[in-house]
Amino acid sequence: MNENKLVLMQGIYKSFENVHAVIDANFDLNQGEIHSVVGENGAGKSTLMKILYGIHKPDMGTIFVKNKMYHSLTPADAIKLNIGMVHQEFMLAKGVTVLENIILGNEPHKGQKINYSEAQRKISYYIDNYGLDIPLDKMTKDISIGEAQRTEIIKALYRGAQILILDEPTSVLTPQESEQLFKILEAMCKDGKSIVFISHKLNEVMQISNRITAMRQGKTLATVKTQDISIPELAKLMVGREVFLNIASSDHSSRSEVVLSVENIFVPGEKELSKIRNVSFAVYKGEILGVAGVDGNGQSELAEAIAGLRPVEKGKIVLNGVSIEKLPTLSRRKLGFAYIPEDRNSQGLNAGMTIKENLIGNVFYKPDFAKLGVLRENNIKLLAQKLVDRFDIRPPIIKANVSSLSGGNAQKVVIAREMNEDASLLLACQPTRGVDIGAIESIRKSILDAKRNGCSVLLISSDLEEILSLSDRILVMYEGKITGILDISEANEENLGLLMMGAPHV
Amino acid sequence: MFKNSVKNTLLTIVLSLLVGALLMLVFSYNPIYAYNELIKGAFSNAFNFGGTLEKFVPLLLTALAFAVSAKVSIANVGVEGELYLGAIAAAWAGVAFKGLPPFIHILISFFIAMMVGGLWAAIPGALRAYWRVNEVCTTILLNYVAKYFTAYAVNYPLSAHMGVPRTPDIASSATLLRILPPSRANIGLFISLAVYLFVWFMIQRTTLGYKIRSVGANVEYSRSIGINSKRIMISGMILSGAIGGLAGAIEVMGIYGYFLDNFSTGIAFDGMLVSLIAINDFRLIPILALFLAVLKQGSLGMERFTGIPKALIDIITALFILLAALQLLQSLRSSKLLHKFSKKKELA
Repeated sequence: MNENKLVLMQGIYKSFENVHAVIDANFDLNQGEIHSVVGENGAGKSTLMKILYGIHKPDMGTIFVKNKMYHSLTPADAIKLNIGMVHQEFMLAKGVTVLENIILGNEPHKGQKINYSEAQRKISYYIDNYGLDIPLDKMTKDISIGEAQRTEIIKALYRGAQILILDEPTSVLTPQESEQLFKILEAMCKDGKSIVFISHKLNEVMQISNRITAMRQGKTLATVKTQDISIPELAKLMVGREVFLNIASSDHSSRSEVVLSVENIFVPGEKELSKIRNVSFAVYKGEILGVAGVDGNGQSELAEAIAGLRPVEKGKIVLNGVSIEKLPTLSRRKLGFAYIPEDRNSQGLNAGMTIKENLIGNVFYKPDFAKLGVLRENNIKLLAQKLVDRFDIRPPIIKANVSSLSGGNAQKVVIAREMNEDASLLLACQPTRGVDIGAIESIRKSILDAKRNGCSVLLISSDLEEILSLSDRILVMYEGKITGILDISEANEENLGLLMMGAPHV
Repeated sequence: MFKNSVKNTLLTIVLSLLVGALLMLVFSYNPIYAYNELIKGAFSNAFNFGGTLEKFVPLLLTALAFAVSAKVSIANVGVEGELYLGAIAAAWAGVAFKGLPPFIHILISFFIAMMVGGLWAAIPGALRAYWRVNEVCTTILLNYVAKYFTAYAVNYPLSAHMGVPRTPDIASSATLLRILPPSRANIGLFISLAVYLFVWFMIQRTTLGYKIRSVGANVEYSRSIGINSKRIMISGMILSGAIGGLAGAIEVMGIYGYFLDNFSTGIAFDGMLVSLIAINDFRLIPILALFLAVLKQGSLGMERFTGIPKALIDIITALFILLAALQLLQSLRSSKLLHKFSKKKELA
């Protein structure tokens, strides 16, 4: 049976700690196809594929590769079987060139020396045939995310990959870059390579794959041919119920009262001075201003400057009529500023503390929760319990450590904390990054609720769909500057994508 | 969780004593006799038991000092220096404020010793918080500065001119009441226990404690919710140093009655070990401090009556630390094994 399958995985089980990550999963791959694996975050897509690549050892189940049976593989086995994987987080050495990264561990030799010209010749085959455009001589730390991804793909191909697993490859790309990636993938398929494409973006999956396997809660639900299914059907399959991600954002604000105004600010980046150069904009009362842009174009610096975590070189930031650019974070918060940081794990939450302690981070010093410097445990417990119930944080155990929560529930803790106080400005950075669809839905609803209550929201997100579905106006950043501010009525993926690439507003 | 760690700690204690017994057998001593003498040496009469308590107090306080600094994720290896400076400050205050009523005199001496210790610890704290200078380096180096400064002070400006380098006796109004004569155990015991409970409460239940724990666990998070993490780091170090200074003051005001050059042979380092073995868990610190104090005091009697060198007790102490570390590794491994086991059962 299944003689012609390149890969066949049957009855795979895998659990971590107390979590059953993969339960009785089945998967197969044909020669020359793009097979997508879709599912919410935490559905087990990555785990299943990491089992195929040998990173995780399955608890049970069998894997057939080219009709040979294995109980488990190691990455070395997988590479020998011509399986390659491009991980969600790139695994490149930063201090060496792109070329050196590709050949690392597989260097062609000429005597005792590395034969760079041979390496270059081999690599140029992939560059030319698949359109995998990368700067071989650049230092890896200087290349863009798209280039890093293409480098990873070439690295896998260079090691002889015939089967390529891509884990959420488009989550870091602009729409245009994604298109380019899809062309590359199609070219590779034509050349006989087989591709496993892990994603939760359904429109992409529908666009490029031959077959789709949907996963939910560790189980593979169905494998279908792409032409036999529609996006709503697929979404329902993934989540187990109907989902409404595009919550209509109604009643445009009058744009009379300015809540936050950023005036000609210059902000230093990690490495360079003035990563943000001369940026000005205003956020009006009751509106959601979306900030779109490819990651790394100054959005993080902008957010940290507004939050008071990064110094402002020049310019003014005015919140509710007060110049705040020199004030410490706490004073800004006291003026009605709430902040959902971009990096949930480092900035948003304290993994060393409980849910309860994380929920009181912005209020613990207030009279309701502290008397003469002593925390009022009872009030704190009441608040924590209230927030856990209201935001449906699961499991609702306020004494539990936040590190035990899933990504979505952990993010809900951040949202609950920041929305508890009636802020006049909510700065939400990547509020739904890395959380499952169910949580995305509830987080987006919370943001709209805040807006309905008269809170202004500055929404920074690299997820265009999120920006488009929530914002009243959209600001696009490119290389630390604003390339355009569009009203939601005139914005679409194309013109935003162009602005994200730095094209002037047409 | 906590029950387990107490159980594990007790098990470690028993195991290290067993290995120590084996060693004694190898050197043909009778371990039962030896341990009997050890226990007697630590508990049998007021003098011995007092000696144990005497050693327990500085161990508890210096362990607490280290644990507090660890809460703001700084390793304060400089508690020894703070102890020396606190001790000399208390010895000075004990003489300089002669004539004050006893209670006030003690409080003032404590206050000065704690301030000196705290400010001294603030230096590496500030260096770490503002300029990211490694605190282990600075605190170790500052230990030498502190120790040699006290050596200078006790030889010249504060010298009692007595043949040995020591300060004059402190006023009786600054002396801590002895509780178990003829031993030197004193009310410093209750003071240290009170401080221990107070600090524990402060860390767990106050806003400052919340900030300290928050900064210690995650600086980035603390910044984003508006805590001035640099200031909190320094506060944590000041608190740690103040406790170290207090430990020194109790040594001077309760045990010696004056400052003697070189009086501490690494008390604070033993305290640091206690804290490290307790993994900075406040609940385990007194248990372990007591264990170490018993070993230290009991070994004196054991040596006297059995001829087993005191060094053997040092070996047992070392073994204990080693086992405690091993057991940490072990608990990690066994939890993984347990998982596999329970998983297989569920699937079957």
